Order: sequence, then structure tokens, then C-alpha cells
Amino acid sequence: MPPLTDARKQALRREMETLLGKGAVLSDPEELLSYESDGLTLFRALADFVVFPQSAEHVSALVKLAQREQIPFVARGAGTGLSGGCLPAEGGLVISLMRMNRVLEVDYANQIAVVEPGLVNLHLSWAVGPQGFYYAPDPSSQQACTIGGNIANNSGGPHTLKYGVTTNHVLGLEVVLPDGELIWIGGKTRDPQGYDLTGLFVGSEGTFGIATKIVVRLMKKPQAVKTVLAVFDEVDQASEAVSAIIGRGLVPAAMEMIDQLTIQAVEDAFGCGYPRDAAAALLIEVDGLAAGMDEQAERISQACREAGARDVRVARDTAERELLWKGRKSAFGAYGRISPAYMVMDGVIPRTKLPYVLRRVNEIVAAHGLRVGNVFHAGDGNLHPNLLYDPREPGAEARVVAAGGEILKVCAEVGGSISGEHGIGLEKADYMPLIFSEADLDCMYRLRRAFNPTGLCNPGKIFPSRKACGEAGIAYRPHPIEEKGLAQRF
Amino acid sequence: MDSNLARRLAAIVGERHVLTGIECSPYVLEGRTPEAVVFPGAREEVAALLVLAGEDGMPVTPWGGGTRMSVGLPPARPGLVLSLKRLDRLIEHEPGDLTATAEAGLTLGAFQEALGRRGQWLSLDPPNPREGTLGGIVASNASGPRRHLYGTMRDLLIGLTVILADGSIVRGGGKVVKNVAGYDLPKLVIGSFGTLGVVVEATFKLRPRPDTDRLVLARFERVKDAGAAVRALMASDLIPSALDLVDTEALRALDPGGREGAALLLGFDGIAEQVEWQCAELPKILGAGARVDTRVLDGAERDALWQAVGALPRAALPGVTGVMKWGVLPSQVAEVIDSGGDVARRHGLTAAFTAHAGMGIVTAILGSSSGGSTPGGSSGGSPGGGAAVAATSVAAALGDWRALVHAAGGHAMLEWAPLAVKERVPVWDPPGAPQRIMARLKAELDPRGTLNPGRFVGGI
Repeated sequence: MPPLTDARKQALRREMETLLGKGAVLSDPEELLSYESDGLTLFRALADFVVFPQSAEHVSALVKLAQREQIPFVARGAGTGLSGGCLPAEGGLVISLMRMNRVLEVDYANQIAVVEPGLVNLHLSWAVGPQGFYYAPDPSSQQACTIGGNIANNSGGPHTLKYGVTTNHVLGLEVVLPDGELIWIGGKTRDPQGYDLTGLFVGSEGTFGIATKIVVRLMKKPQAVKTVLAVFDEVDQASEAVSAIIGRGLVPAAMEMIDQLTIQAVEDAFGCGYPRDAAAALLIEVDGLAAGMDEQAERISQACREAGARDVRVARDTAERELLWKGRKSAFGAYGRISPAYMVMDGVIPRTKLPYVLRRVNEIVAAHGLRVGNVFHAGDGNLHPNLLYDPREPGAEARVVAAGGEILKVCAEVGGSISGEHGIGLEKADYMPLIFSEADLDCMYRLRRAFNPTGLCNPGKIFPSRKACGEAGIAYRPHPIEEKGLAQRF
Repeated sequence: MDSNLARRLAAIVGERHVLTGIECSPYVLEGRTPEAVVFPGAREEVAALLVLAGEDGMPVTPWGGGTRMSVGLPPARPGLVLSLKRLDRLIEHEPGDLTATAEAGLTLGAFQEALGRRGQWLSLDPPNPREGTLGGIVASNASGPRRHLYGTMRDLLIGLTVILADGSIVRGGGKVVKNVAGYDLPKLVIGSFGTLGVVVEATFKLRPRPDTDRLVLARFERVKDAGAAVRALMASDLIPSALDLVDTEALRALDPGGREGAALLLGFDGIAEQVEWQCAELPKILGAGARVDTRVLDGAERDALWQAVGALPRAALPGVTGVMKWGVLPSQVAEVIDSGGDVARRHGLTAAFTAHAGMGIVTAILGSSSGGSTPGGSSGGSPGGGAAVAATSVAAALGDWRALVHAAGGHAMLEWAPLAVKERVPVWDPPGAPQRIMARLKAELDPRGTLNPGRFVGGI
């Protein structure tokens, strides 16, 4: 497809301004620069336009315009994604949902809310908090990320161990299909008839259309919460404690592991009360009824001690609990203080394989001359090795990518997955053959074609590119940005 | 059927695993006899059978335990019944991972038994666990009372292997509890009633079995009072695992000596202290206004009552003439049940209702006028009888039920009815705008329309 001529661009800009109003269309290269990447800055690509619709009708009109002009389009929330999933392709249109950020309806009796996609995740919990409710999926970026973005990536978070991920909390969606038609899939009632299009749409990374209204479940705030910190001299002991807790018939709300490098970085930066000399710490939270809470905490403490914990303590009050969580949640900020750059990895393994995989991660990282900090959702086996590096050092980024690929291979080998919550996007498209066969990918391709026959809706994501296809013997399907040389890995 | 076909089928699965002619009678579906029944012993055999059927233009009817075969539009021609009975192995159960993988033909009962030996369970309790298979439960999205806390198949299935109509063996999801790689194929297959592919293997997320598990039966004078109690419970701190509501007729079937009224059946599970606290707290929440008497059940008594609740669609009335499943908001449940009862009476028919009240899922059971006709056995374990009542009046009542539920913003599906009624009342609601995408998905995965053609929503 030829790039847009200047005259054509001018005409399109005018047309979209007429539709959306002044100030809702960006096309100056300096303005577009803020939208050239998401949270994964290894990938960059410039759009022709970034537009800010305020209604589903706006989104529908924009999508129809993009199809008419045959230009690619992609929805964008807060841009906190970590796989390059909302990057524009081949110029084209970035449709920002940030001006569609209202809570449209809250029905406390039926424990549901209807929201717009640009609503910040945490703002929903704030809105319903006074009535004793909250929205359960809590990605670490929840202060910034949007519910629409969560839909695209089927986002998780620390508390998904007990409460599930985004898809378990979404009942229905109003979506603009890739041809511009506005339809409802699912709704406010359970078990809608027909195929579970809502379930299929959530996690489709923006390739099946754009959600413009979202029906979510609200959860009642638990009566009581208890947070336990267990400290270990060996990482293996912490891994074993995770299985031991599950083995005692408990499903904590969250079970997070933090390794020594991370503990030290966090303590240097914020002083949250983690012992600096520990090899690993487990932050375990149980919530629910006040009755039986002490017994649950006791069972957890016992399991940790039997696994070899040198110290187990239960947070005495809200302040101590919040301080411990601050340590967990500010790990990324702390890495920023000890390393000029870091790459957040995301892989999943069966939790019983934790000791083996963590050892392999350390070996791989050491072999590439890098450092790694591990802070992750141990309860559901969702690893987040953070590879620390200095981008000014020649070849450092290449080593990070190589180590990352090897770590994903290990995840695949032990029966895991290459992404637990960040998505495939651009970053991991070429790793898909690690866990999916040609037939699996072909089936996914057919599903995409059913929704998105022209392929203009967020092209170049999820499906492997030429090189990876060659290796796995999969039919190559062109990767628009790659063809145009508009995006590169570094 | 031609003997050539029998030979070709036998070449795939072995002669012992093909039924033809009169042997097919247990698999007669809505009065129509399949051309053959096959029992593949491996996924590759399933693939080969689908390829063969596709080439011959012969429809394929996948068959698990046969407990939900009467759901959906009757097939024009059942063609080849493909039973998953022989694919019934438990492949892997790793308690430390809280996951298990099994073949589709394993019954839920056998699966739970194996998991239970190691202190875990699949937190799903649809009716007929002894006959219902894992594959069938996935395909028909069957659920039970404990969905109130633990969700449905879409919250528990983390991976599957499905054979597409072209014989390709496709895996979706994985074996880990958290996974966003690729499209969520398991979600698409759940509730697709065998129209997109044949499930041969599935991986589930498990839960530890609770230390304590009780059922509380709370009686009320009227459905309305029970409905108010549901709202009070949902607003309270209690975390029941089940919150079912039954009306007078259904209650009478559960408890023959019982009086008029309605009841809630509540499940409480967890560690003993949690369960005891909730049972003690319950009367305070239910109390105000309603005349309540509660019974707490444990062990075999508890299991028997839950089982009886699951069997209500067949047992609630002496002559069942139709069963509908409605989806409304939880706050509307009591009202639609009361209105639904009025509708049935206006048509001179009896009715009974049971609901997963906290989820807004109502099973509406239509009886006969006399109440005297005997339920007869029919294929697929469906409820029986009702032949004494004219299909036209049953159809009229069911049509009015659907209109009532639609007016409330909900959806209604005809889960079971005699063929004569099904010919007069649509099984599914009109699918509306999503129909276009659903039809395209079907065309992509099963372009020749081999799998259960015409059974599903919108005639898919």
C-alpha cells in the first residue's frame, strides 16, 4: 500500500476534524512522537494520525473511514502495555480511547457496572469503593492503565490467583467491529446464547475490533485481609513454600515472590521493611471472612516454616500491610535506580516447576553477562524476570533479547506459556511457534479472518513473521511494518 | 446405510467399534436414526472420521454421555454419531499445580473421584455427573448451584484439544492457570454444542476440597420473600458457594411432606470456622419479615438434596411439557418467576421454577393441565411425557414466557420440549447483530457444515 500523499493527509485530517472537532486529531510528527511506542520501548513506529473520539459513533465512523482509505488502525488506551500491542503499523491511524473514560452505570444490587474503555482501572474501584465494592483485576499499572487496554490484553495482576483475570470479570461488550459496525456481544445477564464472543474478544489484543462499552462484575470488598511476609535463605525454599501452601488446601488472594536483588533495590529506594540479606521473600495475602482468618494465616505460616522460612510475620495493621505491598509494587521504580534500563519479561510455568525454572533463569542470565531481578506472581507461576542492562553498552540489547528468548524456551519446555498477562503483541509474535503448532496458529488465523477479513485492524501482531515461520515450517503471512521497514527491534 | 460406509468406518476404528442398523437405536435423536455410531479410540481416529464424513457430505453428531442431546434444534439428519466414550483417560493430575488434564469421554463423576483421592475437585456441579462427560459439559456449558461462587466452565477450562472438521488437531490455551498467548479458543468452544469441532482433551483449573461443606435450606412463605432474602444476602458479608431458589412446586418435589412456600438452598464451604460463622449469621440476614425455618444438612443428606435439585427439570412436575432456561438480572428473579407462574395458569398449565438466584439463571418447567400424565422415557435422558396436552397450548405458553423474559431484558432458551412443541416454538432467541460474526466463525472452522448442522443459534 503506498504511503499517503500530503494532499490526501490534509484532506483526511480535515474530514476527521469535522467529525471529532478541533483538537481531536494529531498529525504533526512531534505530537505523534508520544504515541510511537508503549511501555516496551524497544519497538517504535510512527502513525499518520492520532485521533481522540468521544463516542462509539465516532469510533465507528473512524473505522469506516480507515477501511475506505485502506489504512491500518489500532486502538490505544494509556499506552502502558508491555508487548508493543498498540503500536501503529505502516503509518495509519491510532485511535486513542482516553476521552471515553466515564463510568456510565453502576448497579450495586446486581453487582455490575458499565464503563467506557478509556476509564483508568483504579478509578473504577475508587468510584464504587464508598459503597463497599471494587473491581478485582489489578495489574501493577492499575493507576494508569485503562479497562479497554485490560480487555485487549486480558490483564491480570497479583490478586488474580484467587479472583481470576480480566476475562472472568467481563460480562459483555459493545464493540466496533473492524468493518465499523457497532454491535453488542454478551450483556448484563449470564450465559448469553450463541458463541462466547465476549470471551473470544477479551485478550484478542485489538485485532477483533474496538470495545466502546464494557460490562464488568463488581466484587464486594472482603471483610478482612491478612498479609504474611515469609523470609527465606534459599530461593528453592520459597518456591517449595508456594506448593506447600496450595497443598494445605488454601487459595490465597495473592502469593508474590521477591528475590534478593529486588529486595535490596527496594530497600535502598524506599525502606519497606524487607530484610536485605534474604535470598527471597514471599508476600502472601488471604482475604475474605474475618472468621477463620487467623487459622488461615497460621496454616500459611506453618507451611512456610516447614519449607525452611527463617522468619514469618503477619502484618499487624494496615500501615504495615501497605508498606509491604509498596515494596512489591515499587520494584520497577527501584530497578530504575540501580540500572539505566531493564526489560520486563513475562512467562508462565506450572508452579511445581518453580525451583528448576528459577535456577535456569539465573544460569541463562549469567551466561549473557546480565543481571536479573525477579518479582512475580508465584502463586500462579507467572514469572517476571527483569533483565537489567545498560543500553549504551554495545550489544547489550541484543544480549537481553537473546536471554529473554531462552527464558521463554524454558517456560515452553516445562509445559508453560510465553505470556501470562502482557500479551504477544509485536514482541513475542515470533515465539508463538514455541507453544503452538502450525495447525493451532492456522486456526487462530481463521478466527482473525472471521472478525477482521481485511487485516487492517491492528496488523502485524500475535502472528509470527517470516523468519519464525521459516523455522517452524509455517506459511508466512506478511508483516506490514516489517515490509515497510517502519519498525525495527532496536 | 451402505455396507461400503461401514467398511470404511471399521477401517478407521475397528469393526468392534462401529454400530449400524438396529444397534443404533439408543442413539435415536428426536425420532431420527443415525446412519452409524462410531467409537474412536484415539484423537487421530476422530480426525480421520471427520475427514471421511466431510468427503461424503455426511453430518456428524458428537456424543458424550448423551445427557444434553435434546438441547438445540433437532437435526435434519444425525448422520454419523461420534461417541467419545472410549476416550476416557485421566491424563495428568498434578495437585501442586491445581490442574488436571483428561480426555473428553471421561465422566465428571469419575474425574471428581480421582481428583478427590488427592484432596481436590473441579469446582463445577452440573446435574448427572455419573453420565455427563467432560467434553459434553464443555460443549454444552453445563453448570450447577456452586457456579454462584466458583463460576462456570469459562472460569475453569484453561486448555483444550479439539479436532476441526477438516481433521486438523488444534490446541488452544495451555496447561497453566494464567495464559494470554494467542486467541482464547477454549472460550469459543465452551457452549458451542459441537458445531465448531470435537473436543478430545481438556485441562482444568482445580480447587482444594473444602474442609467443611454444608447446605442450608431456608423456607419462606412466598417467592417474593425468598427474592428479598437473596438481595439481602448479596448485600451482606456472607460468601455462599451456592444460592438457589425454588418455588412451591419445585419445593414440593424436593420435600414431599413440605408446606406451601418457597425456599432458598444455600451452600457454605471452607474451613469450619468460616462455615459455622456464616450459618450462625444467616438467620439475622434472612430474618426480617419472612417466616423462616432453616435446616442445615451435611454429608449424604446434603449430596442427595443437591442431586435432587439438579433433577428438578425432570421431576418437579408429574407431566413435564417443556423446560426453558432464562437469563435475567439477579434482582429480577423472583418477579419473573411470579409472572411466569401467572402466564402458565392463564394457559391452564402448571409450572415449577428453580433458579441460581444470585446469577439470574432460572429454569422454568412447564407442566400439563391435568397433572396426571405419566412422564415417559425418551432419548437423551430428556424429561418425558406430557402427550396429553396439546402442543399448541404448550407452545403458546412457552411463547408468552419468552416474551415476558425479553420484556425484562433477558434471554430465554427452550432447553427441552417434545418434537411437536419444538416445531412450533423457536429453541433459541433470534441472535441479532452477532449472528454475522458467529456464522463467519462457523464457516471458517467448519466450511462444509459437517458438525451438528442446524442445531445451534441462528440455525448454525
